[in-house]
Amino acid sequence: MMAQPVPHQTADKKRVKVYELRNNDWFDRGTGFCTACFVTIQEDQPKEPRVIVQSEDQPDRLLLETKIVKDDGFQKQQDTLIVWTDNGVDMALSFQEADGCQAIWKFIDNVQQQFQAAMGGPDDGLSDDLGMDMPAAIQLPPAELGALIDIENTLRNLSQSPSGRDALAKAIMSEDYIAKLIPLVEMAEDLESLGDLHHLCNIMKTVVLLNDTALIEHAVSDECVLGVVGAMEYDPDFPTHKANHRQWLNDQGRYKEVVRIQDDQVRRKIHQTYRLQYLKDVVLARILDDPTFSVLNSLIFFNQVDILQHLHMTPGFMTDLFAVFGDPNEKPLRKKEAVLFIQQCCAISKNLQPPARQGLYSNFLQQGLLSVINFGLRHPDASVRVGATDILGSILEFDPSMIRKTIYEQIQRKTPPLTDSLIDLLLVEVDLGIKSQLTESLKVLLDPNGPGVPPPDTRDGFMGKGRQHVAIDPQQEVFLTHFYEHSAIKLFKPLLDLEKRPTMKFNALEDGIFGYLNEILCFYIRHHHHRSKFFVLQNNIAQRFGQLLACKEKHLQLVAIRFFRHLVLLRDEFYSKHLAEKRVLGPVLDTLLRTLPRDNLLASACLDFFTSINYEGDRDLAKHIMENYREKIVALSHIDYFRGMMCRYDQSQGYTISEPDEEEEMARRPAHAGRGMMEHLTVDQAQEEYWNTSDDDEENHPAGPEMRLLPNGAPAKPLVEYTSDDDEDGSGDAVMTPVDSTSTEDEASKENQRPPSTPPTATGGPPPERLSEKRRREEDEDDALDKLMQHKRRNSSSAGSNSSLSAGILRKKQSFNNGGAKSRSREGSPNGASGGQKKISISIGPVLKTAAVRASSPGRAQATAADENGK
Amino acid sequence: MSDLDRAIAQLRACRPIPENEVRELCHKARELLIEEGNVVTVNAPVTICGDIHGQFHDLMELFRVGGDVPDTNYLFMGDFVDRGFYSLESFLLLLCLKVRYPDRMTLIRGNHESRQITTVYGFYDECLRKYGSANVWRYCCDVFDYLALGAIVLGASNTLSQPAGSVPVGEDVEIEVCNADQQIISRFLRKGPNGAMGQQQQQPTTNGFSESGSSGPPAPTNTGPPGSGASGASGGSIGNPAGAVLCVHGGLSPLIDNVDKIRLLDRKQEVPHEGAMCDLLWSDPDEIDGWGLSPRGAGFLFGADIVKVFNHRNDLSLIARAHQLVMEGFKEMFDASIVTVWSAPNYCYRCGNVAALLELSEDDSGLGVLARSNGDVNRSDGGMGGQGPRGVLMENDLLGYNRAGPARRYRVFQAAPQDSRGMPAKKPVADYFL
Repeated sequence: MMAQPVPHQTADKKRVKVYELRNNDWFDRGTGFCTACFVTIQEDQPKEPRVIVQSEDQPDRLLLETKIVKDDGFQKQQDTLIVWTDNGVDMALSFQEADGCQAIWKFIDNVQQQFQAAMGGPDDGLSDDLGMDMPAAIQLPPAELGALIDIENTLRNLSQSPSGRDALAKAIMSEDYIAKLIPLVEMAEDLESLGDLHHLCNIMKTVVLLNDTALIEHAVSDECVLGVVGAMEYDPDFPTHKANHRQWLNDQGRYKEVVRIQDDQVRRKIHQTYRLQYLKDVVLARILDDPTFSVLNSLIFFNQVDILQHLHMTPGFMTDLFAVFGDPNEKPLRKKEAVLFIQQCCAISKNLQPPARQGLYSNFLQQGLLSVINFGLRHPDASVRVGATDILGSILEFDPSMIRKTIYEQIQRKTPPLTDSLIDLLLVEVDLGIKSQLTESLKVLLDPNGPGVPPPDTRDGFMGKGRQHVAIDPQQEVFLTHFYEHSAIKLFKPLLDLEKRPTMKFNALEDGIFGYLNEILCFYIRHHHHRSKFFVLQNNIAQRFGQLLACKEKHLQLVAIRFFRHLVLLRDEFYSKHLAEKRVLGPVLDTLLRTLPRDNLLASACLDFFTSINYEGDRDLAKHIMENYREKIVALSHIDYFRGMMCRYDQSQGYTISEPDEEEEMARRPAHAGRGMMEHLTVDQAQEEYWNTSDDDEENHPAGPEMRLLPNGAPAKPLVEYTSDDDEDGSGDAVMTPVDSTSTEDEASKENQRPPSTPPTATGGPPPERLSEKRRREEDEDDALDKLMQHKRRNSSSAGSNSSLSAGILRKKQSFNNGGAKSRSREGSPNGASGGQKKISISIGPVLKTAAVRASSPGRAQATAADENGK
Repeated sequence: MSDLDRAIAQLRACRPIPENEVRELCHKARELLIEEGNVVTVNAPVTICGDIHGQFHDLMELFRVGGDVPDTNYLFMGDFVDRGFYSLESFLLLLCLKVRYPDRMTLIRGNHESRQITTVYGFYDECLRKYGSANVWRYCCDVFDYLALGAIVLGASNTLSQPAGSVPVGEDVEIEVCNADQQIISRFLRKGPNGAMGQQQQQPTTNGFSESGSSGPPAPTNTGPPGSGASGASGGSIGNPAGAVLCVHGGLSPLIDNVDKIRLLDRKQEVPHEGAMCDLLWSDPDEIDGWGLSPRGAGFLFGADIVKVFNHRNDLSLIARAHQLVMEGFKEMFDASIVTVWSAPNYCYRCGNVAALLELSEDDSGLGVLARSNGDVNRSDGGMGGQGPRGVLMENDLLGYNRAGPARRYRVFQAAPQDSRGMPAKKPVADYFL
């Protein structure tokens, strides 16, 4: 049995007294020199970590030899004491010097961490070289100008390995190496030695990028921060530049204190947090690696949470803060700063745990936050108005009912509710940012379905569907009633005023409002069923929007079209009737006719609108169009969609006849009836002929039945047993692709050239899922940059890729073999039946039939991660 | 107009313009963009650029290498913002140039031109820092909604233009790769009509770009330009006018089998989470068959077969797209039927990649434009009548058929010299309470 000395250790630092607890009294076993290392007990056994004390006067005698085992409970107390329990006996080592204690403690601590990490056996977790990585092994060169190159190299070499980084960080901390380096910066500056400054910069960068929390916190402490950023002003990558970090951070005026924060420690933390942000955004911006980025972020986060908690808990602080607004003699600047202070609190509060956040907001509201918001909304300074809307926004985002409750009280007290202030401001506000936040607030406040912001929904109108059955809370009822009785007229005044307006000319301020009003109204229409219907009807809203079509500004015409499309997509008979009665579709057709020779956004929007009118489903609307605007449709009949609509009308005698089994199929069709709607896609004579003759050909193609639809949408002959529920493939689309041939492949190709079965999102897509949104956020990191980084990993999983690849091929083959029968075979498994998965058949050519599965769960991403390997 | 020129000068110096000027600029841009179709038609010659990502100084380098506006006709394929520290200056400069020279500058939308993405990847934060409020971000996002979704380049020649004083360009050169100093790194000859393999013409060159490394004789199965991993081109007979080039940020969509379907979208909206518009901005080509799920969580992966069928059906000779970092700046795939162009050198200030531009020269033979003017009746049949059933694609077609691609000149460039740009950093928050 041989004790192996730890390399490089300096024995004199580890002079120690060994104590043992006997009868509640510490018994001195003697004085000696302490070592801690791995010892080979038996040749074939793993080495054991041991603490050994050799007697001072009799070097052969061991005062202590103890094996470090998991449950010994080693503890370091004060600077020079280590205590533990050895076989039931309490032991203590009392070191003469703190450094020696620290060195031994590091070893023990390391071993214990290994135990914890391994959770079971020391066998694998401990390796021989652990002893070699002992912090004690690290000797940093002396911090002096002459040794800078040496320091830089040492640091760089050590920071290559994880254990080296760890040891380095500990050594720098324990030697307070940063403090030793800092004076060198000024010395080098005095000497105007740019080379040294560049070395210092590299050294500091390496130190910070060691990514050690304690080290970074130390680096931004009051004592160190200026020196640390000072060194980093001289970046060797930019030899002709010098940054001015010190000047920036030294500017005391950057910190604004509205109400004195008494606790020094908290104030220090505030400054420290600011410096961390500066470090992240400016000093290290270019070189920050992901781990350091996240360490900085989490340090900032925890500091902010602490600060906020402190302010929230400090008695009197909030009272003092809100008293600023109550004092008529208070300086306007201080009031402004108080709003901005609360704004910053709210911004940070988004990171808090929900209960803490709730607590903070309740505290704010109790102190009179609403009046502060009111004050802020009317402030001449735009930044204060932004602040007020921001504050409101963060609370609404968290729990709108907190604000609603207060508004309800306002209504009960017959005082003007907050919503009215918001409306007033919305109508006069020039600042676009505030406007859009107000719009958001007005939507959230009047969402009858309780807490939570609805998913972002910029387009279509299906959001309300699943929510209709949620019980509406009676307070909200009162609130809504009050809103429609008093406020709605005010809110939509610019729209209602159009009625008396002789010309559709607006100034810059006026013309911005309609987009927002449209957004708000569409939201209300989705959520306030009978109330909004009544409002729309009573105020003749459709015609008001229709007036916008007469504007010169195309973006206002777009607003009108968007509103109408919204109504159509609701597929609500009431609104269809309203649109028809108010005869607003004529002007839209006119707009399209007027625009059409050009291919611009307006034309696309009009076409998108009309294709959203499902002329089989929305029969009334289509009938209305045909009966009233036939000449316009004729003029547009070079576009397949309109010709289809017209033919269908004529052949079904005003949409009155329709074969029951075909009905559903047809109903789905216009969802993507978008075949060649631009005028230049007119089907030419040859194609026309083809379509007229294709009937005969079909006799030869048994796979044909689904294809028996002429471009005008009429069935060539009764369809046989085609009662698809779930097949969304619209046959009419076969003609999307101009096909001149009547070759045998034709039937198949026509079918295959149908667009995939999901209708365009615009018209029928499911509401955007929160999940996918979140996933996107997470996975955009899969962006090119990260792909690059992950390249290796991807390659390593190529086995998975192969299997998924071959599965894909199988699937492909199968779908090819099934040919035309495929769509029918799918009827058995409706969309969504397989655990929320939606199958899209993407059929493009007879040879290349493919299918893609788009799962609506994260599984989708996983499933394809393997495909990435292909690259 | 002088206001605009002044704004351009200020932005070129990397100094943001005041908020009210941004608002005005955005309004002007909106009026302009609203008149553009979802797929803009652009005539060659044109210089096609990929992602910029707020790397302002590298954008300046790009203009140095590719020529200044309005001398050069530019087409940017989106992702102007996020990641880099000068998204604001980069995007506003491009927008100013668009408003000032509408016919010499085409901007199409990338997946980062979206409210949701910019709040996460830096542009929102940058606007907030530089203006103290998110207004400018909102103005810009409004403009994003009006940006076109794609572009079609017509009239590209299949011979390269002859820059003054350079090595003469033979008629049969299909691809030329140049460095930032206009030196030719390599040239690739078009395959003969008999299907002979293309030959690489190595030019003596002194530059040291890593991607010029494939200087040896090309392997018979892989004759593409360096970094392309693809054969140069195939099949098409020499002298056939080049087909149109579709430019789009991401790639294809299973919902779009036809370029004209893109025109039926109401694009003025935030980029949706799925659907055709989303796919165009998010998809990637990949070595798979058919369609695959994208690991990005939006858009799809699509294989060579999809691209070839799509190009065939729409009579395209090439799809140019961006969206993915390629270390060599550009990468041709699938027998040169699709190319990724990446224009952000040393991406994120640390990826070490080079960037590239794609130049397509003008066809002056008069043949190119005639046969396939975009949007004409029966465009998909353009010029191919009498060669058997078109629109019905047979397996043979896929193997043998390939449009003669336009001649392509790639200019590869590196990040702007560090000293010219100062240290990239975000603007620090000026005041703090907490």
